[in-house]
Amino acid sequence: MDPQEYQQLEQQMTPPTPYFKNVLKAFFVGGIICTIGQAITYLYVIFFNFTEQTAGNATVATMVFIAMILTGLGLYRKLGQFSGAGSAVPVTGFGNAVISAAIEGRTEGFVLGVGSNMFKLAGSVILFGVASAFFVALIKLILVSVGVLEW
Amino acid sequence: MKKLASLLFVPFFLIGCSNEQTIQVTDLAADEEKRVEIEESIRNQEEIYSATAIFVKDELLVSIQVNPWLGFKEQKVEKRLQKEIEEKYPDLKVLVSSDYKLHWESQKLLEEENEKKMADEIKKLKDLAKEET
Repeated sequence: MDPQEYQQLEQQMTPPTPYFKNVLKAFFVGGIICTIGQAITYLYVIFFNFTEQTAGNATVATMVFIAMILTGLGLYRKLGQFSGAGSAVPVTGFGNAVISAAIEGRTEGFVLGVGSNMFKLAGSVILFGVASAFFVALIKLILVSVGVLEW
Repeated sequence: MKKLASLLFVPFFLIGCSNEQTIQVTDLAADEEKRVEIEESIRNQEEIYSATAIFVKDELLVSIQVNPWLGFKEQKVEKRLQKEIEEKYPDLKVLVSSDYKLHWESQKLLEEENEKKMADEIKKLKDLAKEET
């Protein structure tokens, strides 16, 4: 059997990827996570002294915290397997990335294992987030000083 | 499946059809004319579906809720209304806000009758609206 034949055989054997189903799952799970976030925002607005504008920070912190606990209990992995990007793209995916990397490094000790591995995945998110925020702010500053936009 | 999904969304579209504006204005320490005029200028903004205006002495707090489909216009509506009321009544300290917190709190304030308490509460809300962190 030459490589071409093998490839043909492989293509025949592999089941087709259910793209539509995956997209639907990701859409609904992501939507449910965002709905929970919205509910937490309203909770902060109604019962605490937060406005809609300031409640955002507290909501993000709470969602990340919940995702971290779920990761520690091993429940977020199941959600990730089921919905893929639907659970990774919202901010809860960030909490998952931090804690799962920390758990992975636990066997190497507390400082060199947990400490150095914790931001192995999330570090790039923070770095590029900060860098792109800087450039967006720079562009806006230029546009405002030229007079195209207002603050 | 498709039929079921489209049936599921029917109520949402129907809710969007109701075109009523609920506008409530308190009547503590303000003359009738002013109240009617401010209610009118709020009613003229088509994007607003719910609004509360609270008068205490020379303070006026207008909290508006903009139609969710027009959420991106929220700030513009806010600014336009603020400017309009400020031009009409230069002696009033006006704050127009589209924040849900202010709307929620002023709904509660509508039933308040103690003027002193109301003035304190309005001041607190106006400070809260300035908060950015």
